[in-house]
Amino acid sequence: MDMGRGTSKIPLMTLPIRFFATLLGAFAFSVAVGAAELRPYSASGCSVVDDYFVNEVWAKVAAESCLKCHKAGGDAEDSKLVLLDPARLTGAKRAEALHASRAAFAAMAQVKEGNSTRLLLKATGKVKHGGKEALKPNSAGHKVLAEFVRLVNAPSPAVVAKASAAAEKNAPPFFSGVAMLDDRRLLRRVTLQLAARLPTDAEMSAVASQGVKAMPAILDALLKEDGFYDRLREGFNDIFLTLGVDGNPDQSLLSYEHFEKSRGWYQNTNLTKEFLEPITDAKERQQAGYQLANDYRKALLAEPMRLIEHIVRNERPFTELVTADYFMVSPYGARGYGIFGEVKDKFKNPADPFEFIPVKLKALTGRSKSENQDSATGLYPHAGLLSAFQYLTRYPTTETNRNRQRARVYFLHFLGVDVLELAARVGDAAAVSAKFENPTMQASECVVCHKTIDPIAGLFQDYWRFADAGVYGKRKGGWFTDMFAPGYEGEAMPGAERWRALQWLGERTAKDPRFAVAMVEHAYYLLTGRKVLLPPKDLEDPLFAAKRRAYAEQRKQVEAIATRFAATGFNFKQVLKDWVMTDFYRADGLAMAAANPARRAELDDLGVVRMLAPEQVERKVAAIFGKGWGRLKHGDGGLDMLYGGIDSKEVTERAADPSGAMGAIQRILANDVACKQTALDFSRAPSDRLLFPHIEPDVVPGSAEADAQIRRAIVHLHQRVLGRFDKPESPEVERTYQLFAGIVSDAAEKKNFDKQENYSCRQSLVAPVPDPNYTVRAWRAVVTYLLRRQEFLYE
Amino acid sequence: MRRDFLRLCGLAGLSFACPGGLASFARAAVKEEPPYAGPFYMVFNASGGWDTTYLMDPKGINEMNRLYKEGDILTKGAHKFAPTDKHKTGGMSNEEFYAEFGSELLTFNGLDYSVNNHSPGARYMATGKLDSLAYPTFAALVAAAKGPTCPLSFLTFGNYSATGNVVAMSRVPYLPSLQKIANADHIEGNVKSPYHEDFALARIEKALAEQREMRAATPLLPRQERAESMLYAAQVNSKAMARVTPHIPTNVPKERLAQQAEIALASFKAGVCVSANLSIGQFDSHQNNDVDQMKLIPEFLAGIAYVIRRAEALKIRDKLVIVIQSEMGRTPTYNKGNGKDHWSIGSIMFLGPGIKGNRVIGATDEKQFGVALNPQSLALDKDKGIKIRPEHIHEALREYAGVADHAHAKKFPLGLTEKEKLRGLWG
Repeated sequence: MDMGRGTSKIPLMTLPIRFFATLLGAFAFSVAVGAAELRPYSASGCSVVDDYFVNEVWAKVAAESCLKCHKAGGDAEDSKLVLLDPARLTGAKRAEALHASRAAFAAMAQVKEGNSTRLLLKATGKVKHGGKEALKPNSAGHKVLAEFVRLVNAPSPAVVAKASAAAEKNAPPFFSGVAMLDDRRLLRRVTLQLAARLPTDAEMSAVASQGVKAMPAILDALLKEDGFYDRLREGFNDIFLTLGVDGNPDQSLLSYEHFEKSRGWYQNTNLTKEFLEPITDAKERQQAGYQLANDYRKALLAEPMRLIEHIVRNERPFTELVTADYFMVSPYGARGYGIFGEVKDKFKNPADPFEFIPVKLKALTGRSKSENQDSATGLYPHAGLLSAFQYLTRYPTTETNRNRQRARVYFLHFLGVDVLELAARVGDAAAVSAKFENPTMQASECVVCHKTIDPIAGLFQDYWRFADAGVYGKRKGGWFTDMFAPGYEGEAMPGAERWRALQWLGERTAKDPRFAVAMVEHAYYLLTGRKVLLPPKDLEDPLFAAKRRAYAEQRKQVEAIATRFAATGFNFKQVLKDWVMTDFYRADGLAMAAANPARRAELDDLGVVRMLAPEQVERKVAAIFGKGWGRLKHGDGGLDMLYGGIDSKEVTERAADPSGAMGAIQRILANDVACKQTALDFSRAPSDRLLFPHIEPDVVPGSAEADAQIRRAIVHLHQRVLGRFDKPESPEVERTYQLFAGIVSDAAEKKNFDKQENYSCRQSLVAPVPDPNYTVRAWRAVVTYLLRRQEFLYE
Repeated sequence: MRRDFLRLCGLAGLSFACPGGLASFARAAVKEEPPYAGPFYMVFNASGGWDTTYLMDPKGINEMNRLYKEGDILTKGAHKFAPTDKHKTGGMSNEEFYAEFGSELLTFNGLDYSVNNHSPGARYMATGKLDSLAYPTFAALVAAAKGPTCPLSFLTFGNYSATGNVVAMSRVPYLPSLQKIANADHIEGNVKSPYHEDFALARIEKALAEQREMRAATPLLPRQERAESMLYAAQVNSKAMARVTPHIPTNVPKERLAQQAEIALASFKAGVCVSANLSIGQFDSHQNNDVDQMKLIPEFLAGIAYVIRRAEALKIRDKLVIVIQSEMGRTPTYNKGNGKDHWSIGSIMFLGPGIKGNRVIGATDEKQFGVALNPQSLALDKDKGIKIRPEHIHEALREYAGVADHAHAKKFPLGLTEKEKLRGLWG
């Protein structure tokens, strides 16, 4: 068997960062470079004390417990300890921030008070501390701080240096012993995943002759194919869910107030006559009218993802996701916005409902003057997705929610921060709620988050319309005064910017290092179907160190790619290309079983190993067999939801593992696709066949020549269906051969089997395919067997 | 035998440390399992945050409730409840609910959710763990421990449904969906029209088993091991879906909870399901609290009653365990929009075999703060008692279900000391 796996001791073509401990005081690191020189945002420590500070004190205590309040804009911003968040800084500034934080902690660690130090007393609330008891005595966090105190007060740098060297030496490379996909299988994974097709012969040849060096050029071409953009839109909708707008989009998105005369154009016979008048049959005309309305609504919903496609296709800075001063509109959508007359000449085909072009909308004009949109330029203040009607409608506000949901998804989508994900436990939440007149501005437990969230919520203040009432409109009585004022991470929004508040937000978002990181994380989600790892929280967990390492290694990779992303003008294609070349994407097995629990914990999330979503299964079937199955298509009342699909509304997360119900669907799929495709393929001329180009149904097992021919046919099937590159004498081929031959033999023992395929499996054939030897059905069983395997159903 | 074996395999996440590795798993998993016979677990969730003062923790004082006064509070045995018969717009009133089920119902009041937000609250209530995204819900945990081979072991219709990678989650949106997949090896599900003749299908299954065995001998990444295990189990166990067909009702009810319940009950009855999350939303009554809660609480109770009655008809009521919860409560006072905002104190209710009903444990005070409790005696103890939080309830639930010592549960500890565990909660 040739599964094409190589073992990597040093990661191949990847972006690994190996941290060197040094006592020079600088946060230096080196990058073991494969394909590219990438430098991460983060940097490791400069001594054991500094390593310890970065990896233990900062990672386990400071970032989790202290930073929430002890930062500019935080509840403890007036205290002596004000920390800088390294996640919001890059390069040298980031290193400096860690260095400064370390110095501040060290200073407190050196101040002795009684039998303890100021640092420990503060952390445990034994002296005045706004955060009261941040760490329980003898908790794991407390022990981390205590060790830091000991190290800071340790006299001998030599001891420290020795310990540092030992620690470095003992850590094996993270990918040590991990087997990687070989180049051919990497190629297949990429073409199927990103462009929904099998590799071409030319691509296979290029990889065979040049190895992985051929990949950049292949990827460049691949990322221009329409199949890639289909997947890109689908993948980003999994994240932004803008297809999940409730109700009829023409009414949910386009308010009566601002689009009264245009949004219902499809119901106006004067406006639809160019489409419908040529149709003379009344019933057909009615159906065409329905189709027109459906296409219009579909096009409206599609606009945000078409913006992403436009940015990526034209290799524009991906920051336009939040800064684009235009939106994408189709000919049908343009009619809905009432701008078709202005823009129709810009379309290549104004009759194509799904051609999209970038357009700037004028500031909205209401039925009443008070509903007119403020604008210094006369234009709608587009800010990419932030100002998109679909985004604002998908994440609406309510009178009591006050745009906080929008702020939450803003942080999640564009900065990669889930403000509610691991919400801090409040000692007595009910008491806090009752004690303060306005807890969100007064209670430190609440201020921690609200000081960050509420200013963002305030930036959405002029998009104050509730369900089915459009998106733009000011709140009567003005914005809430019992919330932190509109702004961004401590920076107040100037009043003059209010009309373009979302543009103001987008500009700051694009400059925030967290944006690049978040986009790299989104790319990871696109490629793997799961989110990046979160830092482990449970310091008492015996596997904490291993989990922390897994997180840290992945984080280094994320940040390295993010650095290049920012440095190369935010080209999103580069992010995908970088991910594809990493060991995280290529990891495909182990050279030898990992029995050590700590090592298993390190490797726990490694490898793509993704169960294909219903849409992906459909595309894979189409790529292999020339036609999709059809029953996993979305929205046809098919099986897609049962197979773990999403509707972008109620069901928003794809199933990661197959249930028994999904196992049943896999069986149905395997049976049915094999039924539809096997005899059909034999009915074609050999040169047109996809599955059986080199064998005929009259070849039966028994002779050496026939057996060899059958085995070659199996090798072809294995490659086409499973992406395996087996040799004819391999155990895998032998098993499939035995399946085929066994069925033919079993059938031969039966006296009266039908001499043709069953009725359902011989429909739509190009020419009749008799089956006197039961070989067609045996080949169908082989195809069924292959379609039920992990190599087909997963990627 | 196989179930025991799979349970062993599941000790560390389905495939970790399987005796004999995946090879033995593959060999062992060929035979079809007998139907799972119970107990069955159903978790009802009032998504958005219910107003407990309009149900099991009535107040009627300090302007907490505009629809009734303290003197209007009703009782049924040990239970006190708010009167809703005059205010409901459909569904089942508290009066009707307690009259029918009060004797079986265990209520816990004064539960401290600790947080005021939907997402963490839902996670905390579903798993018993606030500060981790990795923990499985109780429904998932019990499904993994008791019925890992059931094809629909853990059904969910909403709410927080993380599985901790110990079991696959199943979503079955419509009853007819079950029919579509019941006979996967037959054309259009018609048992008279198999895709493959028996001898061919047997050889396909044999080849798959052998292939799995060979894969099991290959060193794999942990994710690969899990995927191989779950895929194989899903396909093998899917055959049991055929058992569901006779239990799919011909009439689909209109009510939201009843629709979910029918899918779950048919799956329970067929022995292919261990647990189900049922959920209805819109309880988040920041505006017009009383109108919303008077619509939703009766709908919620009617759904629960529907399940119990249908379970009776299906003869599985004596095996049905019901947990009734929400992710938060609502403030003691009304806001300017006649609504109530988030409140971190609430209640939870239970009903099922081995749960002594007609009892109320815990309490809130006149300001709707939780009253501390002695976990050993379950007596209120303002001075020396502790706040009872979701982890206390979940630990008790794990013990009640007999899964507290299961490896899956140990993999996701709740961190309580023996002294902190609730004793005698179930009576």
